Amino acid sequence: MTDQPTPLERLIQGVLPENPVFRQLLGLCPTLAVTAGLKPALTMGGAVAFVLLSANIIVSLIRNLLKPHLRIVVFTLTIATFVTITDRFLAAYMYTMSKTLGPYIPLIIVNCIIICRCEVCASRQSVFTAAADAVGQAAGFTLALAGIAFVRELLGTGMILEFKVLPSFWPSWVVMILPPGAFLTFGLLMGLINWFVAYRSRNRKPGGNT
Amino acid sequence: MDYALDIFMIAVSGMLINNFVFYYFVGICPFIGVSRRVDMALGMGGAVTFVMSIAAFMAWAITTFLLVPGAPITRWVGSLFMPAAAAARIDLTILTYIVYIFVIAGSVQFVEMYVRKFNPRLYRSFGVFLPLITTNCAILFACLTIMSHIVGVENPSEIWGLGKSLTLAVFGGGGFTIAIVIMAGIREELDLCDIPVPFRGAPITLIVAGILALAFMGFAGVDAGLRQAISGG
Amino acid sequence: MVISDSRSKRRRLPQAWLVLVLAVGLGSALAAVHVTLSPVIAANRLNETLARIPALLEPKPDPAGGGRASSALKIEPRDVQVKKKDKTTFYKVYQVAREDHFLGWVVKAAGQGYADKIELLVGLDPGIKTITGLFILDQKETPGLGNKIITAAWRDQFAGKNAGQPLRLAKGDPGKHNAIDAISGATISSRSVTRIVNQVTRDLRGTLGTELGKPES
Repeated sequence: MTDQPTPLERLIQGVLPENPVFRQLLGLCPTLAVTAGLKPALTMGGAVAFVLLSANIIVSLIRNLLKPHLRIVVFTLTIATFVTITDRFLAAYMYTMSKTLGPYIPLIIVNCIIICRCEVCASRQSVFTAAADAVGQAAGFTLALAGIAFVRELLGTGMILEFKVLPSFWPSWVVMILPPGAFLTFGLLMGLINWFVAYRSRNRKPGGNT
Repeated sequence: MDYALDIFMIAVSGMLINNFVFYYFVGICPFIGVSRRVDMALGMGGAVTFVMSIAAFMAWAITTFLLVPGAPITRWVGSLFMPAAAAARIDLTILTYIVYIFVIAGSVQFVEMYVRKFNPRLYRSFGVFLPLITTNCAILFACLTIMSHIVGVENPSEIWGLGKSLTLAVFGGGGFTIAIVIMAGIREELDLCDIPVPFRGAPITLIVAGILALAFMGFAGVDAGLRQAISGG
Repeated sequence: MVISDSRSKRRRLPQAWLVLVLAVGLGSALAAVHVTLSPVIAANRLNETLARIPALLEPKPDPAGGGRASSALKIEPRDVQVKKKDKTTFYKVYQVAREDHFLGWVVKAAGQGYADKIELLVGLDPGIKTITGLFILDQKETPGLGNKIITAAWRDQFAGKNAGQPLRLAKGDPGKHNAIDAISGATISSRSVTRIVNQVTRDLRGTLGTELGKPES
């Protein structure tokens, strides 16, 4: 058990090096769907964070009682319950945002990130470790969503969160807030990040440049 | 006549105009992961459509007869314990998501068992996809769309029956299949191209998907025009 | 083999209990959430419509009206069915009065837009002679183009128009009497909204217009 990453390491890993969206390619459906604006993206990030943290904690608490053939049932039940709670909570206190996000909140149930973290981490580690892992992964997810949303909203409307950032002669690239813009932004950003990671690892090699 | 028009519009809309992959962004994970070869893509698409239809049927049935306030089975069971008026107000819709996900998982298990037993050859070709389908957003999304047309709809004539629900499932799955097969065809050609290293794999697939989404945007507004042309309004 | 069978059976029992306990625990959490939040959600859904009604019937509140708050409005929802040749259309109609003074009607209607369904609220005077206002509740039109139907500038064209005859779409020159200026690049969205409004006035003129003079009951 000594070669397992510490909770703090897990937390930091989740944000960039093992980012769930850009490095692990998990949870892609909401990444494309809710990033037309920065506010929906942040709300979705918060919702996933709540579900991931709660599910990880509960699964970690009962990890010693779980046997292999019941795992998936227990994970699914827990995740579905917390997603229902999140959905109702949003509909009660953030009604317009709930309507904007629409069916993508319940789709958190099949978000691969959560099931994957429950399986890989929470069912084997202590509560604190599982919680740290959840926070790291959720932070990474929110960062990825916010990054894509920032680009799309800025280029698509010239505004960020209701503030006009770009000058008025900017012809809003409406395609950015439409479906093609989602795919293109995501693909280009991912290519950029791949290039950056390769560049960093090239520069770290002992025989490499500098 | 009106009903047939509605069914036709749901079919066209589900398949082309509001394509599950290029408009609603559901089913992206298998779309990027499985779309390397056309025959595999076809198998995946077929499996998804089949499971989606079964899940949609069960989702519609359970929602209409069990979950909504005033549903027949709930009302009957409730009337054994409380006055009929209160039984008619029992609202089980809070359990919708949990019920749906277990219905989907159950449908996948059922299909897998059935195909493995009665058609081993078919199982060898697409059986490997079946466990992946449980976490496929597209199936849950189809069930959720059906739910949104039953729960909370004020106008009773607009509540979806079995016909409309199944149409959405079949043609939505068909649209997913079209998307994934087109993608596979393109990727087979893309394998022969010289793509810059950072873009190999997922990034170039997403960019191609973006261009495809642009193409599919050409279908927007077709349903309004079709509806007007057919009903002569 | 027999030993491991019974041992595995004994192991399965506490696991079944685990799932049961978990289900009961999560179920009660859900029940608690349902009981506390359902009324809030239902109120949200209702307020979405009700909050718009004052502005639709009285776009410019009377400054000399003094302390007449909008909470003095009495809003009564009604379901109206309009039977036509082969189909029946349902409308949700709100009868609005203030201190025994009948202000008018607000009708919730929906129809096919360019991309998807458009849901809107139309404000009408008591005799269904004038349109007093328009509000778009729900739309999925093209952002930046058809989306402009939600802007106040475009919607304000409908206020004051004659409800006795159908509105027509005019491109660029709304000088004519009953014309609505279409949004450039979004003709179909503009036409859809106009069509829905025309349908409302046409269908309800006969049914509700004759309610004029009747006390609000």
